[in-house]
Amino acid sequence: MPMLRQFASRISALFKTRRLENDLDDEVRAHIELLTEENVRHGMPATVARYAALREFGGVDQAKEVYREQRGLPMVETLMQDIRYGLRMLAKSPGFTAIAVLTLALGIGANTAIFTLTYAVILRSLPVPSPGQLVRYTFRNGAQDIGLSGPAYDALRKQETVLTGLLAWSDAELAVEENGAVTRVNGAMLTGNGFRVLELRPFLGRFFGAADDVSGGGPNGYQALLGYNYWKDHFQGSPNIVGRPLTINGRSVTVIGVLPAGFEGLIAGERADIVLPLAFEEVINAPHPNRNHAGSFWLTVMGRLKATESVGTAEANLHATETAVRETADPRHIYLSGFFAPFHFGVESGRAGRSYMKVIYAQPLLVLAILVGLLLLLCCANTALLVLARLSSRSREFAVRSALGAPRRRLFRQVLSEVGLLAACGLGGGVYLGWVAALAMVAMLPAVGERPPIDVAPRAAILAFTAAISVLSALAAGLWPAWRASRVAPMLGLKQGDALSPSKRLGSWIVPAQVAVSVTLLAAATLLGGTFVRLLLEDSGFRSDGLVLADVDLRANKLTDAQATQTAQQLVEALENIPGVEAATAMTLPPLENAWSAGHYFSLGERGTVHSDMQTWGESISPGYFRAMGTRIVEGREPARGDVGGDRVCVLGSSAAAYFFPGVDPVGRFIYAGGGDPSKDGNSTVKQEDTWRVIGVAEDARFRSLRESPPRMLYQLARPGDLTTQFSLAVRSKSTASSAAAIREAFQRVAPTAVEPRIYTFNELVRAHLRTERMLMSLSLCFAAIALLLTGLGLYGLLARSVVLRTKEIGLRLALGASPRDALAQVIGQGLRLVLVGIGLGILGALGLTRLARGLLFRVQATDPLVLAIVVVALLGVALLACYLPARRAMRVDMMTALRYE
Amino acid sequence: MEPKSEVLPGTLDLLVLKTLESMGPQHGYGIARRIEQISENLLSMNQGTLYPALLRLTQKGWISAEWGLSDNKRRARFYTITPAGREQLAAETQNWERMSAMMARLLFGTE
Repeated sequence: MPMLRQFASRISALFKTRRLENDLDDEVRAHIELLTEENVRHGMPATVARYAALREFGGVDQAKEVYREQRGLPMVETLMQDIRYGLRMLAKSPGFTAIAVLTLALGIGANTAIFTLTYAVILRSLPVPSPGQLVRYTFRNGAQDIGLSGPAYDALRKQETVLTGLLAWSDAELAVEENGAVTRVNGAMLTGNGFRVLELRPFLGRFFGAADDVSGGGPNGYQALLGYNYWKDHFQGSPNIVGRPLTINGRSVTVIGVLPAGFEGLIAGERADIVLPLAFEEVINAPHPNRNHAGSFWLTVMGRLKATESVGTAEANLHATETAVRETADPRHIYLSGFFAPFHFGVESGRAGRSYMKVIYAQPLLVLAILVGLLLLLCCANTALLVLARLSSRSREFAVRSALGAPRRRLFRQVLSEVGLLAACGLGGGVYLGWVAALAMVAMLPAVGERPPIDVAPRAAILAFTAAISVLSALAAGLWPAWRASRVAPMLGLKQGDALSPSKRLGSWIVPAQVAVSVTLLAAATLLGGTFVRLLLEDSGFRSDGLVLADVDLRANKLTDAQATQTAQQLVEALENIPGVEAATAMTLPPLENAWSAGHYFSLGERGTVHSDMQTWGESISPGYFRAMGTRIVEGREPARGDVGGDRVCVLGSSAAAYFFPGVDPVGRFIYAGGGDPSKDGNSTVKQEDTWRVIGVAEDARFRSLRESPPRMLYQLARPGDLTTQFSLAVRSKSTASSAAAIREAFQRVAPTAVEPRIYTFNELVRAHLRTERMLMSLSLCFAAIALLLTGLGLYGLLARSVVLRTKEIGLRLALGASPRDALAQVIGQGLRLVLVGIGLGILGALGLTRLARGLLFRVQATDPLVLAIVVVALLGVALLACYLPARRAMRVDMMTALRYE
Repeated sequence: MEPKSEVLPGTLDLLVLKTLESMGPQHGYGIARRIEQISENLLSMNQGTLYPALLRLTQKGWISAEWGLSDNKRRARFYTITPAGREQLAAETQNWERMSAMMARLLFGTE
């Protein structure tokens, strides 16, 4: 307690210094007067009595100083003094201040931006009470983390004993009818117990419960909740929203409430604007609901641990019951033991919900975090050099202060608080730059037609992080100069005027370190840029000019699959009849969506050998496919309109042809579906509808991803029922604009009531497909450019200073017969020695980074001579420029002036 | 004249508290006088060092201070010991007794 009281009293003293100072004066004066009077009483003359009193009291000012230190917080008081003084000094040299602040702001901003993304993608907790109690049940094979099936969820829910409840969540794209127009809205479905498990309170109205999560939605039909932002934007935050009907996927639904502000769903970056009971899935996926299908893995399953349980006990509980869960969820042993045998159930912390982006961006973010960390190091090194250079012109001031008795620690603190001020300004700039950069990065992330997936609004956690790295930067950039400044010998400073030159020992390690960091950053940029370019130049098996695709969604139109296929054919015919359209096709899935399609097919060889494959990509197409997509037929022919009614025909990709028909001509041979859906596959005889005649072979196409080797493609000419209510169109014409216009026109003619399709050019698709690569390339190029600039500036500053310091020496050499060229060579040699050491170190760093980033690279590596050449040439170029300017000055030293210098 | 001894570190607080306990409210000059008298002028003390000690004790809440008029009608700050100060004094006194007994045993070997 006394400690606390004392501290409080000291703090309050900071704010009433003047009054306390007067009190002290009074008190001391009174004491001395009393002493004097007493001395007079003892017979001393008045003047002598006063001197005796002062002697007895001891040094008045010393006593007062001790008193003052006891009274306030001397640390704070001198700090405030330092800051005031520092501000004056910084204001005196605005150029230096601006460059130092900008340098630090760049470094801090870059780190803030990357942290903002990391926070949003990986770290941010769900906005629910005690998110630490949440767990998520996974079904995964390494990094591949798919959801749980409906039956698995039901079985798990029955078996677990460690939770207060187990919920299931699924994102769903909804078709919402508003004033006659149908729009896509990102929504979600949640089991009836979900809000109880999450312990949320509605912002308005009420939540749905278990009784509402049944087929048909209970007695009053389906009920829906609106997201807070959606309610604000679309319904102007009207409180009358409760009870209002909405038409979703052709079904009338009643709004019963609004979700709390801030809660956007259980999946990071996927904002759910409308939340429906899970049973609504029967409406969305009619006529093929997934809810009870053992082979559809679509649910995000989370629970809340009882207070006495932990993730560990939940895991133990799961492993004890896993066999029973698998048995109940998949009694026929088709899925959980067949296709998905390598997948296993698991439990992990559900604090941050589920993040698809985590899988995709964890590694890029780690690499970026390392890059920005290096960049910040570089910024600090440069600031340190700047501050030292600046101090060296102030070394007289420090020498004088030191000679007048300023203690070393006081000088040390003075420099450190000046750097601290720079860092504080850098912090302000960094927060702003970081926010802008994060917005720019997020704008690069969305897939075609989606909104930016990440909310990067500044948050306390991010500001705290930024403040922390600013403090670290201030220490990193300030400690060394502060130490040097505190060591100024008073005499040296008074005599010479430059006792703080950074040229000698310091430069010999800061510059190579800067160069090494730059080399690493530059190598990273070259590798990531090379990856992007290689991927872009990769022969995808598609021709992009004039090619436009459209994703069609007819689910809200309540069509059967046969009707949907018919609509697709009508659309294709309408497209083909539009003048200028060269080819048009419908297909199951568009390429480059990182989708996964695997079917079981086999062929019979000459002597009864069976070539069977479970990873063949079966794509239903219409006749114009190959001309529309630009995939070349290399053998046989493409399907024609006339093939549609007859026997089933297909075209194989080259890889599939080589796999199923090794060494023989596949054209005219047959391929069979080995129970494309094993649940239907009871007997071993192959039915007519599962047999395809191969009529051609097409070049390989990178259908799934530009990075991966092409899948084995089986292009099946679609028959009624092969396409569902969701399919894609592709159109080729002279220009992408006319292709897009043609799609809109065909839609107006054939399906005016359908949800407007998502239309995008093939190039947009590639761009979105390579968005991570593009972001990494752009950012690393930015970082490398900043690094080069900083290194160039650092080297330049160092050499320029060194030339000034050595003017006399150079003049002497010139006088003794050295040529100006020698002087030039000497300065450049001095600079390049430092640079070469740095390049060597940097290449080691680059090799280390490559190992870490291997998964992000595509056909490039750090040991690639071209990569090394680019890095070394770029760096040497900058270094030579930075050396040349001071060297030229050295060359022009006039020997007479130089010798007369002092 | 005997050589004067320095005030032992840490004992000034104790001296001040004891003085205030036995004399009642005092101003700084009075406290200094009293300590000198008690020590029979054997204690050498810069009277100025008394003030930081008084401030420290005030901050800790062991003594309180208020302005008043001294004997010669001057404005002076009077210090009073607080209940917390009395407790502290008792504890310190005990401490001191233990310490001096120990020192005595150590130096003179008295059991």
